[in-house]
Amino acid sequence: MDFALNDIQQMLQDSAAKFIQNDYDFETRRRLTESELGYSEENWKLFAELGWLALPFDEAYGGLGGSLTDLIVLQTELGRGLVVEPYFSTVVLGGNLIQRHGSESQQSELLERLIAGELKLAFAQAEPQCHSSITDIETSAERSEEGYHITGHKAVVLGAPSADLLVVAARTSGNRGDQNGLSLFLVDPAQPGVTMQAYPTNDGFRGAEIRFDSVKATLLGEVDSAYDAIQATLNDAIVALSAEAVGVMEKLLNATVEFCKVRKQFGQPIGKFQVLQHRMADMFMECEQTRSMLYFGAITVAGGGEEASHAASMLKVKVGSAGRLVGQQAVQLHGGMGVSDELDVGHFFKRITMINTLLGSRDEHLQRLIRNAQAA
Amino acid sequence: MKIVVCVKRVIDYNVKIRVKPDHSDVDLTNVKMAMNPFCEIAVEEAVRLKESGVATEVVAVTIGPKAAQEQLRTALALGADRAVHIDTSAEANERIESLTVAKLLAKVVEEEQPGLVILGKQAIDTDNNQTGQMLAALAGLPQGTFASEVKISGDEGDKKLQVTREIDGGLQTIELSLPAIVTTDLRLNEPRYAKLPDIMKAKKKPMDVKSPADLCIEVASKVTLLKVESPAERKGGIKVGSVDELVDKLKNEAKVIS
Repeated sequence: MDFALNDIQQMLQDSAAKFIQNDYDFETRRRLTESELGYSEENWKLFAELGWLALPFDEAYGGLGGSLTDLIVLQTELGRGLVVEPYFSTVVLGGNLIQRHGSESQQSELLERLIAGELKLAFAQAEPQCHSSITDIETSAERSEEGYHITGHKAVVLGAPSADLLVVAARTSGNRGDQNGLSLFLVDPAQPGVTMQAYPTNDGFRGAEIRFDSVKATLLGEVDSAYDAIQATLNDAIVALSAEAVGVMEKLLNATVEFCKVRKQFGQPIGKFQVLQHRMADMFMECEQTRSMLYFGAITVAGGGEEASHAASMLKVKVGSAGRLVGQQAVQLHGGMGVSDELDVGHFFKRITMINTLLGSRDEHLQRLIRNAQAA
Repeated sequence: MKIVVCVKRVIDYNVKIRVKPDHSDVDLTNVKMAMNPFCEIAVEEAVRLKESGVATEVVAVTIGPKAAQEQLRTALALGADRAVHIDTSAEANERIESLTVAKLLAKVVEEEQPGLVILGKQAIDTDNNQTGQMLAALAGLPQGTFASEVKISGDEGDKKLQVTREIDGGLQTIELSLPAIVTTDLRLNEPRYAKLPDIMKAKKKPMDVKSPADLCIEVASKVTLLKVESPAERKGGIKVGSVDELVDKLKNEAKVIS
């Protein structure tokens, strides 16, 4: 199998890497995370100009028809730069849901605005009780003559403070745990009845707790049948997030190796000590294994079917354990500096730790795999 | 007006160069390659001249192995209209020297008849800073080297090129008649990032492949590379206890003040 990047992917990687190097150094990123907005609107416009917002969408809607593999090339670079712009919430989650489940008119209108950089989205799915389950949804939507109204509580909605529209998963029929009866809705977060408690997350991104009190909502696509679209989108999102994790882990490994070459103790660089060399060798192996698992996950998830969710869970388990080892060793080998605010290592560590908790933690996915194996 | 812009495939400027253990050359095994940064500036300037309506066509040219087509595709993604690749795969054992490059480019210039040729002032691998000047001599065209600003004025048929050059201690502005050769300095412009739609379109843009033999140029190295060495390692600094000690060291050890 040839895992080399093709011409287009190579140029996309070069272009993204150059942006990170020239315009997104660590200090710039730190200023952005401390700003009120939490990211740069100028960068968002640039992403639109560069075509990054159009990458995974069909050409029929003005997209570029990129594959999941193309997306992981970009996501890995975004991970290397710890990019905080809401690309994941808008393009990978919100945009993909619209493409998969929206009506023809919703797809063309919303995706066109998204691709132009005029629409940011957030996916309000998780609830305090649901623990990464897609079907354990209490938020409900009632239909009246005026349309649908949503009531419920959504937890840790990433990118919500900057979103122009929320894509909300709500129950229109059935009970908690049922696959049928789940629907997706578009909600304007500025309207009365939406209470948003926004906060910066531990890794410098923005999230929010959102409460809906009989809020007017527009149905996205067909009623009661959103489960497959949500599942497929979350599988894609796990692959994209894992690509970001690979970028983060490689940065942590390189920073640690470089540091161990120059930091001296007992008259020699600490990288000369065999015990530390072993640790770095372990970090390297974990990075490589995660990268291999990422390629496997990307190919399998893109193929769809039952195997897709299985592969996504396997990938998330690997990212969780490898990320933990690489992140913690990087901090250990750097010493106290490894968690200081002034050094990027601590920030990469926070991001890799947060990635483990997003879209279901390592333990949750491992339990899912065990349950599936027992049921088989 | 047609612009020919020349690009070279070199080691990516972020890569830490390794010398082969026998010091015979730089080790290129598994090393990331990229477009020479000065050539990127040349491509950007050509594309800007096209966008401002001064130029009508931008042709990117490179000389090198088949892999050098990657750099031509990058130039096409940045806005060049078509590309010419002079494939030297058959001469893989020869070092392609500046004079050979200039001769090959002179043939391309003869065929294409451009109004302007833009090159990087030097490539970051060999730092020769020769090709632009040699090309100007071989093609019999005026040259504006180390350009930090390029302006084209005048009516069709009588266009003039103003080039501001970065020279020791200041700037020099010269006026050239067209066609002319320009080599770019670092501050001429800031190259753009390749846009994804343009990257995809670049795949479909035309690329001519020629060999040195097609252009009747013999590739034979006349300079032998004897030895390559890494720069001497920087010695660690020291802390001095007082101003007097500093002055003493500057005077007697470093000998930078008397």
